Amino acid sequence: MTTQLSPEQIKTELTGIFRKVFDDPLLTLRDDMKAADVEGWDSLSHITLIVSIERSFRIKVTLAEIQRLNDVGALIQLIHQKVH
Amino acid sequence: MNSDLRMQTETSSNLDYCSLISEAKHARFDPNLPEIRIALLGDASTQQFVPLLKALFRRAGFNAVVYEGPFAGIELDVYDADSPLYRFRPDCIALLNASQALRIQYYARPGTAAEFLQGTVERMERIWSAIQARSTALILQSNFVLPLERLFGNYDHKVPDSLYPVTAAMNTQIAERSRSHAGVVVNDIEAIASWVGRRAWFDERLWFLAKTFCALDHCPLVAQNMVQIVLANRGRVVKCVILDLDNTLWGGIVGDDGLNGIKLSSHGDGEPFHLLQSFLRELSRRGILLAVCSKNDSNNAMEPFLNHPEMVLKLEHIAAFVANWDDKAQNIRRIQELLNIGFDSMVFLDDNPFERNLVRELLPGVVVPELPEDPADYLAAISSLNLFETASFSAEDLKRAQMYRVEATRRQEQSSYANVEEFLSSLDMRITVESWDDFHLPRVAQLIQRSNQFNLTTRRLSEAQCRAIMQEPAGWLPIYAKLTDRLGDHGLISVVTCEVSGSDLAIRDWLMSCRVLARTVEQFLMAHVFDCARRLGLSRVTGEYVPTPKNAMVRDFFAQFGFQKISEEADGRTLWALSLETFRPPATYIRQTQPAELAAIGS
Repeated sequence: MTTQLSPEQIKTELTGIFRKVFDDPLLTLRDDMKAADVEGWDSLSHITLIVSIERSFRIKVTLAEIQRLNDVGALIQLIHQKVH
Repeated sequence: MNSDLRMQTETSSNLDYCSLISEAKHARFDPNLPEIRIALLGDASTQQFVPLLKALFRRAGFNAVVYEGPFAGIELDVYDADSPLYRFRPDCIALLNASQALRIQYYARPGTAAEFLQGTVERMERIWSAIQARSTALILQSNFVLPLERLFGNYDHKVPDSLYPVTAAMNTQIAERSRSHAGVVVNDIEAIASWVGRRAWFDERLWFLAKTFCALDHCPLVAQNMVQIVLANRGRVVKCVILDLDNTLWGGIVGDDGLNGIKLSSHGDGEPFHLLQSFLRELSRRGILLAVCSKNDSNNAMEPFLNHPEMVLKLEHIAAFVANWDDKAQNIRRIQELLNIGFDSMVFLDDNPFERNLVRELLPGVVVPELPEDPADYLAAISSLNLFETASFSAEDLKRAQMYRVEATRRQEQSSYANVEEFLSSLDMRITVESWDDFHLPRVAQLIQRSNQFNLTTRRLSEAQCRAIMQEPAGWLPIYAKLTDRLGDHGLISVVTCEVSGSDLAIRDWLMSCRVLARTVEQFLMAHVFDCARRLGLSRVTGEYVPTPKNAMVRDFFAQFGFQKISEEADGRTLWALSLETFRPPATYIRQTQPAELAAIGS
């Protein structure tokens, strides 16, 4: 990414990814959203999500970073760090 | 429709992981599609394969029902006859052993690497035997992707104890041991991984997080590979490759450039064509028929086959040769009639996109792979589609091309006789009818998998299921027939099974190779079946016809022998019966081979 992405822009793009991975066109993201809040967010869809995010934002996330993530807010923050 | 093979010719964009997951989710259940029950057992996560298999089987026209065994609990399932695995009644069982799991076991090995290797493959083989003692399911045993780590670098190969050579040796042993287990097929994950490239194949984070053994992008290839193996075992195999000539089999246009102008030498710009021909000749030797379909003057088309010194393919490799100016769909229909095999078991190779599209449009069953612009890429493009997956290979395959040529001679001769009866008598046909035995079982199973048209019930018994019938003959009459005539040997061409049911002898399976249609083989065998019923003291022979899109030619099979229709189901199945008193043996032009002659023929 060459242009600066604001957390809001990241959230918009991330919403699209979530909707695709969880196959829910109405899904909206909240910063405090956790895996338990989203139907079908299990270990497999978690890695699907991470791989989709990596591809979409052209970033690479480490194993430890993935394991540390505990809500959507932390995910947005991680992406923000990585794209800048 | 041959959607399974068509699927193979689609580009990788149709194998996108997320799209397939979504496709599986949105596919509506279709009760009219046949079901495939597949069990996944592994020491890796199998969860991602469930939707992938459902979506890919659905594209091929099947409803897949998938069972997942407990994680890393293969033994729990296979050694307990009453386990959820066996209660699931799988048609096939995929054993997915990850090289990451192997690596952990290798690093923790108590003894030597050689003991580890031996112990691991023996454990696998015991698992196969345990399954085969309790189920006739087809077993798909994965092999191991070679690890990226090389303990000694290149010197690894001189140190057989190192992980890399141990993994390679493991794969060799899996392959070798699978050869003595009919019903066990190697699911060649290593081939897929090296096709992708092992660096891109592995995503170790996914293994650490979720025990997923490869990057998500490549999971669809693994699922597709399993689908291809299963479908081949269901009889969906390519039987014939139809070839264009100019710029497909050789470079240039023989009609314009002349015999000496076409590019065909084994080096330089002819090499890609030489290579393609060598591959095709190998297919022909393996039993896949080759046919020529060319827009050409017939003499011009034939000339390189007769006179070009560098032609690898000769006329003897070509089962049907059609060169004229008609459209190719028309000509492929002619080839279909000549060879008597379904359009959906044909692959058409042509460099010209117009011809490819025409054939796709007019003959949607025929598989028409895209060929790249550059002939240098032809063979790689064809190979990447895995078009020639099969479920069996028998001595019969080696003779197939020759048998079809002999058949062509017969057809020519037939026209010179006054009537068919005279022709049939002149053939001096001899039949051998025997119970199934170990030696003939692979061919029996193969015929069961391949026969579509002359097949009354189209029950696709696997080799393991056939073996079960063969070894449990009480009440069963499993027979095969082999036919020879003065022009050549047809090999094993018909399979019939009957089961004693009360005072009836019930015909369960009856199928025959279309190579021997109208030879009165079925008339001979029907008389044989009634003889058996008589010797068993039974009073009736019954039979069933189960219609499929392909077996209309035997709809009136029972009626022609005088059977009475006793019921007809809503789905078109018909049940037939004929008492022994009423049966009149029909005319046949075949004599039974005497045991002495049998020995002389060397069967």
